[in-house]
Amino acid sequence: MLPKSGEVVLQGSQTPREAARFRVESTRADSPAAKPEIEGWVHFAQQAENAGIESVLVAFNRYEPDPLMISCALGRATKQLKFIVAYRSGLMQPATFVQQVNTLSGLIDGRIDLNIIAGSSTAEQHGYGDFLTHDERYARAEEFLAVCNAFWRSSGDVDFEGKYYRVEKGKLNTPFVAPDRSKPEIYISGHSEPSEQLVRSQGTCWSRVVDTPEKLVRAVSRMRTAGINVCLRLGLICRPTRAEAVEVAKSILPEDRHEKTISLKDDSQMYREAAAVATDAHWMSRNLWAGLVPHYGPVWTVLLGSPHELAEAFVEYKKIGVTDFIISGWPEIEEVTRFGRELLPLVRAAEQRV
Amino acid sequence: MPKGGEVGMKTAQETNRVLTTMSTSPAAIPDMEGWTKFARQAEESGIESVLLSFSRYEPDTILIACAVGLATTKLKFIVAYRSGLIGPTSFVQQLNTLSGFLNGRVALNVVAGSSTAEQRGYGDYLEHDDRYERASEFLSICNSFWHDKNEVNFEGKHYRIENGKIHTPFIAPDRNAPEIFVSGHSEQAQHLALTRGSCWLRLIDTPEKLAPIVKPFREQGTEVALRLALICRPTHEEAVKAGQAMLPDEKINKQERAILTKSDSQTLHHALAVADEVGWLSRNLWAGTVPYYGSSAITLLGSPQELANCFLEYKRIGVTQFIISGWPKLEEMVIFGREVLPLVRQAEQSTNGR
Repeated sequence: MLPKSGEVVLQGSQTPREAARFRVESTRADSPAAKPEIEGWVHFAQQAENAGIESVLVAFNRYEPDPLMISCALGRATKQLKFIVAYRSGLMQPATFVQQVNTLSGLIDGRIDLNIIAGSSTAEQHGYGDFLTHDERYARAEEFLAVCNAFWRSSGDVDFEGKYYRVEKGKLNTPFVAPDRSKPEIYISGHSEPSEQLVRSQGTCWSRVVDTPEKLVRAVSRMRTAGINVCLRLGLICRPTRAEAVEVAKSILPEDRHEKTISLKDDSQMYREAAAVATDAHWMSRNLWAGLVPHYGPVWTVLLGSPHELAEAFVEYKKIGVTDFIISGWPEIEEVTRFGRELLPLVRAAEQRV
Repeated sequence: MPKGGEVGMKTAQETNRVLTTMSTSPAAIPDMEGWTKFARQAEESGIESVLLSFSRYEPDTILIACAVGLATTKLKFIVAYRSGLIGPTSFVQQLNTLSGFLNGRVALNVVAGSSTAEQRGYGDYLEHDDRYERASEFLSICNSFWHDKNEVNFEGKHYRIENGKIHTPFIAPDRNAPEIFVSGHSEQAQHLALTRGSCWLRLIDTPEKLAPIVKPFREQGTEVALRLALICRPTHEEAVKAGQAMLPDEKINKQERAILTKSDSQTLHHALAVADEVGWLSRNLWAGTVPYYGSSAITLLGSPQELANCFLEYKRIGVTQFIISGWPKLEEMVIFGREVLPLVRQAEQSTNGR
């Protein structure tokens, strides 16, 4: 996960708690997260490349700069790192979106993928001029991606007649340019029935919040059978021992035990589920902790432990068919460095043995 | 700003509209090498801004501005965009993000639309007049985001925004919103420029014809920019000869005509009529290239001193900015910076000193 603007501390250090507070407070109008700050991002991107990270997710919301622009600026300053650009499908015409994405691919040698989101909270959507309901937004996302995919597939003109979009002889001369493919990967996140349908019909990778392997195995297997990759989102705390990792995790808990940012996303199925799960069982397994979820939402589900425990956990997820992981840390840059140094070599070694 | 591949092209004929709109044209592919060379030369030649044109035949203007802007330090980018292709909230978020990366070196050229066929390929089915009404609402919302402290609320025919807010501000040393160029000759375009824009952009004509048109704009606080092509040679005769050499062969001529007549732009129809009826508008103003290179190809030609006098005359009647093309653009820009601009600045100095 790409840190928010201003989150990377270039001089001095930052505790996990400070990093977490920065993120929690990033929706305030005076947060530095609102202003694009290239230096911290470039520093992070270089560390991520060194650590063996393949891609970073660039978030979309009204509190932060536009992810396509960020990916362009940061992509021009890097050589290997890929950018998974989060975008909401209702905010521009699919043809315009494809033109932007294709242009970006040409500028950064195809190092761009998409994470398409049907929408966010009702209030935030209204601010973008979008007044559809949750299910309608998924129907529109389906059409949006159908048009995008038609542009990427087609060598001729694109014609589409749907409920939300109508395109007549659409044509864009600028192609998606990459060394190895002619369209970006399309990640779809969400736990609701419509989101699973969307990924099957228009996406290439289903992205969801981490859970125990036992709980995930069936859903993952269904997706993989359908030819869809599966990506897990998680927070990571890797320390020499589990006890130390737990201590770090607890240090992130808010002083105000009633603090909540998740009410912001009222009509998301994923957020409702997570809220219910998290209140009755904070430990989902020995290494999977949902203690932050009631406060900050499902993507704050944390995988924690020693390097060996975590390597085993990643290998186990891989065994049940998970293909990608989108990982957050507190601070992002330190956890990325530690991940590359301590954890990834163990995972690769275990893979070799298998 | 040249199209993709244009900086490396050998002849003016290669840059004509028929060839550059073919799907195999290099104009479709981002050309960082050529653009960076051009942009740095523009900075050296004393050029303040470049216009990036929007069409389905070329890469996206906002992303190009981001990439080229990061490779330069002074040059501003006037990004052309069509108002129906993206929601105003998202658009402001993209532009504001861009401003942060380029320290405010971005301005906006809002275009209500293009040919009906091209608009439909983007999913836009409005007619010419409705497109202007929508553009007016679009800019009204954008301006609210830029100028109002509070959340944006808007209820119009084409857009509805409820409690809109974007945390990323427009960042520039000297302003909190971009300059807004509105182009077009129609009544609606002029009205839009006066009510929502900061500068009206139109094709060049003789100072006599323009004087009474420019005046009311300036009186109402709106700047006026002229689009023109330039051919500067040591003598008038050599400039005329260079102009004649621009004309392409008959086959291209016919194809070009076929494309142009389909447009519903009033600007273009005016320009074509001028080219057919008179060709020469004055000793230094020639419309002969318009049928082949588009409406912005009305050409001011002559010796450096003649051209300097022309620019000063336009300045005297109230014109504040010029958007200039050339064949090739790079070479003509170098000539302009070396031969014409010093004469203009000198004359301005002596006028001010008097």
